[in-house]
Amino acid sequence: MDDDVERAARKVRDVEQAVAQHVERSGPVTGRASSPDGAVTVIATPGGPPQQITVSAAALRMGPHGLAAEIMRVAEKAQRAASSRLHQTLERVVDPRELTELGFTREQDEDEFGWRR
Amino acid sequence: MAAVNEERIQATEQLRRDLEVLTATVEHPNGLCMVTASPKGEIRALHLHPALLQQGAQAVGEVVTETVRLATNAAVQTSFNKMALALGDGIAIDVESIAGDSPFRSTWNPVVPPKPAAGDAPPERRPRTPIVDDPDEDAFFENPFGRR
Repeated sequence: MDDDVERAARKVRDVEQAVAQHVERSGPVTGRASSPDGAVTVIATPGGPPQQITVSAAALRMGPHGLAAEIMRVAEKAQRAASSRLHQTLERVVDPRELTELGFTREQDEDEFGWRR
Repeated sequence: MAAVNEERIQATEQLRRDLEVLTATVEHPNGLCMVTASPKGEIRALHLHPALLQQGAQAVGEVVTETVRLATNAAVQTSFNKMALALGDGIAIDVESIAGDSPFRSTWNPVVPPKPAAGDAPPERRPRTPIVDDPDEDAFFENPFGRR
């Protein structure tokens, strides 16, 4: 059991190093999404809470319920974009199937303003 | 040994199912925003108090961002706790050594409390809690001699 953990830890360290070197070159991986009218903008991280949520003055007119729903929608879209970017960034150093299994899916629709969903 | 392994596999499988649906709900210390988030930082529910919107767009953005972070940390911490319960503290410590400290260890008391004004000495005694008509649990513990 200890051997397994030790081996897993070693593998994680190796991948971590490869990833760190890669990210150093490409910069931090984030995803960005906005409402069509710019009411809400979210900069998301893959697999973590949003880095920044900004709300325009006009967005306050949506009221607490409408604004909350819009923040949730944009945050989800930003996180999908972040996951997709992480997938693209790491697929050269980590098996893409493992990335997908971890929930970092690569999306075709990378356009920030494409509202196809 | 085989039975132990079987038990462990079952515990892991159950844990995986538990962690998939796990969320934590946190209210911002200002009481104006409540977020339910997954350990991966996904917002499952968001409630904004109308008074928060009156504080302006910038405040809304900052308070929501902070509350999502707190809720995500709480969800990650709950995951660690569940893992420690299901697989034992040893495994939880091993996971921490691989994945980094749990939020409880690394971000204890993450919200900076408001600084008291300079020269503002803390009061000698806390003012007596007023008796509430319909005491809930908290009110009861704050005021054990209140009517009940």
